[in-house]
Amino acid sequence: MKQLFIFSSALVMLLAFASCEKVIDIRLNDTAKKYVVEGNISNEAGQCTVNITQTKDFSENNDFPGVGGAVITVSDNGGAPVALAETARGVYTNAAINGTPGHTYTLEVTVGGQRFSSVSMMPAVVNLDSVYIEDRVLFGDSTKIVNVTYKDPAAKGNAYRFIQYRNSVREKTVFVTNDDFTNGNNVTNQLLIFGDDDADKKIKSGDFIKVTMQCIDEPVYKYWFSIDGATGESNNATPANPVSNVTGGALGYFSAHTTQTKTIVVP
Amino acid sequence: MKQTFVLAGLLLTGLFLTAQQKFTIGGTLKSKRNGETLIGASVRTGSTGTVTNDYGFFSLTLPQGTYNLQVSSVGLQTEIIPVTLDKNITLNVSLDEISKDLEEVVVTAAPKGRSLKSPQMGIEQLSTREIKNIPMLFGERDVLKAIQLLPGIKSAGEGNAGFFVRGGAADQNLILLDEAPVYNASHLLGFFSTFNSDAIKDVTVYKAGMPAQYGGRLSSVLDIKMNDGNNQDYNVSGGIGLISSKLNIEGPLQKDKSSFLISARRTYADVFLKLSSDPSINNNALYFYDLNAKLNYQLGSKDRLYLSGYFGADKLGVGDLFALKWGNGTGTLRWNHIYSNKVFSNTSLIFSNYNYEINIKNGANDVTIFSQIRDWNIKHELQWYANDKHNVRIGFNSIYHTMRPGDITASQGSNFNNQAFQRRYSWENALYVSDVWKMTDKLTLSYGLRLTAFSIIGAGDFYNVNAAGKVTDTMRYGAGQFVKTYVNLEPRVAASYELNDISSLKVSYVRNVQNLHLISNSTTSSPTDKWTASTNLIKPEISDQVSLGYYRNLLDNKYELTVETYYKDMQHQIDYRDGANIYVNGAIEAQLLYGRGRAYGVEWLLKRKRGKLTGWLSYTLAKTERKIDGINQNQWYNARQDRTHDIAIVAMYQLNKKWSFSANWIFYTGDAVSFPSGKYTSGGEVYFYYTERNGYRLPNYHRLDLGATLQLKNKKHWSSELALSLYNAYGRENAYTIQFRQNKDDPSKTEAVRTALFKYIPSISYNFKFK
Repeated sequence: MKQLFIFSSALVMLLAFASCEKVIDIRLNDTAKKYVVEGNISNEAGQCTVNITQTKDFSENNDFPGVGGAVITVSDNGGAPVALAETARGVYTNAAINGTPGHTYTLEVTVGGQRFSSVSMMPAVVNLDSVYIEDRVLFGDSTKIVNVTYKDPAAKGNAYRFIQYRNSVREKTVFVTNDDFTNGNNVTNQLLIFGDDDADKKIKSGDFIKVTMQCIDEPVYKYWFSIDGATGESNNATPANPVSNVTGGALGYFSAHTTQTKTIVVP
Repeated sequence: MKQTFVLAGLLLTGLFLTAQQKFTIGGTLKSKRNGETLIGASVRTGSTGTVTNDYGFFSLTLPQGTYNLQVSSVGLQTEIIPVTLDKNITLNVSLDEISKDLEEVVVTAAPKGRSLKSPQMGIEQLSTREIKNIPMLFGERDVLKAIQLLPGIKSAGEGNAGFFVRGGAADQNLILLDEAPVYNASHLLGFFSTFNSDAIKDVTVYKAGMPAQYGGRLSSVLDIKMNDGNNQDYNVSGGIGLISSKLNIEGPLQKDKSSFLISARRTYADVFLKLSSDPSINNNALYFYDLNAKLNYQLGSKDRLYLSGYFGADKLGVGDLFALKWGNGTGTLRWNHIYSNKVFSNTSLIFSNYNYEINIKNGANDVTIFSQIRDWNIKHELQWYANDKHNVRIGFNSIYHTMRPGDITASQGSNFNNQAFQRRYSWENALYVSDVWKMTDKLTLSYGLRLTAFSIIGAGDFYNVNAAGKVTDTMRYGAGQFVKTYVNLEPRVAASYELNDISSLKVSYVRNVQNLHLISNSTTSSPTDKWTASTNLIKPEISDQVSLGYYRNLLDNKYELTVETYYKDMQHQIDYRDGANIYVNGAIEAQLLYGRGRAYGVEWLLKRKRGKLTGWLSYTLAKTERKIDGINQNQWYNARQDRTHDIAIVAMYQLNKKWSFSANWIFYTGDAVSFPSGKYTSGGEVYFYYTERNGYRLPNYHRLDLGATLQLKNKKHWSSELALSLYNAYGRENAYTIQFRQNKDDPSKTEAVRTALFKYIPSISYNFKFK
């Protein structure tokens, strides 16, 4: 649904044939640092990882070092909290936690004297049926687009996130969708990428494509859906921070999801 | 309700106490050349006088005696008509054109001249002559763009047909075309407006002190009236421009009695696309068209019927993958009846429709989304020129709104399910009374009251939503069941005091109530923006505005100076929650937040009305803020439409009979925008961290446009001209957006990128007329 509106704003930009871009200097106010929590639990064995980082000023570089010394626990369906160990600076894991679809996980983080918590429910697995490539002509250019298909379950409330890798490089675009308009159907979803005219980044014959499908719960869907407002590139919408499911004043998310991967060589 | 009757009662007793030996002259003023009725033309004797109403009718009550009536209108020859007043008389006058043989070309730019006596303030008017001369983007003469050069009316920016009046949002302007509301006045996603200037007779904007007959929007009324059509001669005129062509045909059906007008415009950017041999280009569609039509018929001396219609649509299409169509249609049937020299009535039946349709084809998916607003509207008004002191209006208005937020139709085997978002029905009623009372020679008071009742009607589900935006309760209403009725009283008061022959002071207070809300999280207008009526949770927006103004004519009326200041308080303003999903079925209220707004400012306008050089200088100093719980840590923040300084200089120079030149220069403070305070990583990508809403500014905007018109032929039956213009003459790269991204070559760095739209856009158009 959102794609439509990206389409129409892309058209506006096209209309403005005389438009020109220029990198400019802008003085932005610095602000107090904020913690960023990124928690992931999947149904694959041993996949329970929490990353703690902090915000940086705009003028600094894009290297985000982890924050060590946090105390982190995860509990499974109301069970006893299990601690995560710091395996690299700012990276906390526990290989003994195995995510189970239908279970609810609770995350507790204590870092720098602040406490954050979050809850996420791992949905049931929806099978990723196929991944294939389709040629489409958009604005005069032929573009290869990755298509994914799955059968949405009859009950309402399913949400999905797709991560696309081209020759092992992750695509920046966030692909999320839910079943608001597609409930119970066989769904073909196109992983459309907008705004990148870079020829090197286009999918070509012979490329190795990997797609990971995550079944996510509603709050996690909302996080990835609303992160669009924080890309710095939203043309017209008022920018905003994504809606986080982490309480206590941190940025980020805690996602319990199922995961499946398919690969394809572009014909 | 009771107050209304008490007020009406008081009013009536006041009216009958002044019975003396006085008589009334009533009638209609027209142009001799084309039979068009004259709006706002003046009928005066000495220091007393009146102006014609929207249908050219006037009524003037004077003591018994002999008078020389001076009848005048802009661009027409003033006539002096001697009358002996010993009984009530009817006087219909047709004014001639100013002779073309005058030695010098004298241009009178000011349409009606701001009346010092009238308590109406916050009003701006533009004549079609002025609109014609202002240079415009692609040479498209545009009413909406022209009014944005006036103080207190701010452009929403390039590529945006929206405008902001005294701190109001774009949806808080009531845009009327022959009384019919126009819901989306933009073409080509906002680059042009829906009003074809060839078909337009009069444009009036009310920024404050709206008379009681207008209501339904918080900030302004833009009242646009179409030409009636020439009832003397046939006329064919047209224009060929860079992106569009226009044709206008008008003439009498029966001379002096009835006439018709048809005016059409179409852009042809897509015609050039068709020339391409590349199917991916010649498959695309990009055009709009407009059709204005009007018929009017004089039924005897007391009745006149008008039927007018507008239909316009846009189509944007990318091959057969994607198509977006949208358009407005309006129709107005009006009946003027003159009961007597003192009583004039108008009854209108109005239809208004706006819809858009999106079509997407994508493999097995063929999906259509359709959305619509449709109004049926009836209005009746009596204007009673009671005596030389009172001019009373009484009327009612009843509108039935049907809104279809979105119906989705999907092909067999598609991803998508057929579904229809709930339709919303509402019934808007208003009753009003107002009186303009000449209390003394110097003091005039205008006071009125508008009583509005907005009823939300089933069938449909209505909700209760908690503070976190979760639906806690769903209430189901049956068809025709009343869900809720909001009743509001809107007082309208204004007074003017003439300090001397050349200056006056005015003050006004107005309350406006708005029950239809355009909900948008976007900073630009889009055809798919969502109109929502008030619900049990979405309360009517209410504004209270006080205004004070000083008016002075300078140098023997050659110049006119206006200074107005205002303060406006707005209740129940609406915004989206962060991360709201706009395209969901169900409770829209779950996505919304509510709060207050305030706006204040000072506006200066210095206008040169006569001579070879005409034009104006306008300057606005203003502030507009909002405070909404859940946004910007619940603190006041600059609204999207907040602009500190706004300057426009418009100059038109008539060199000789052949050449005329024009220029305008615009400067305004950059828009209030949200820039990041920091950045962070999520899912391996860099995102930006925002702390304050609209805490930054785009760079200041300024631009010079130049125009020239060359009269090629001007014969009795044929005239033609060539119009040239240059938009953004010094090629300033004004920021359309500023975006943030990772540097392509060095991803460890982030950078700010400014996008500018138009740099030097020259245009040429050819206009002709058969007479």
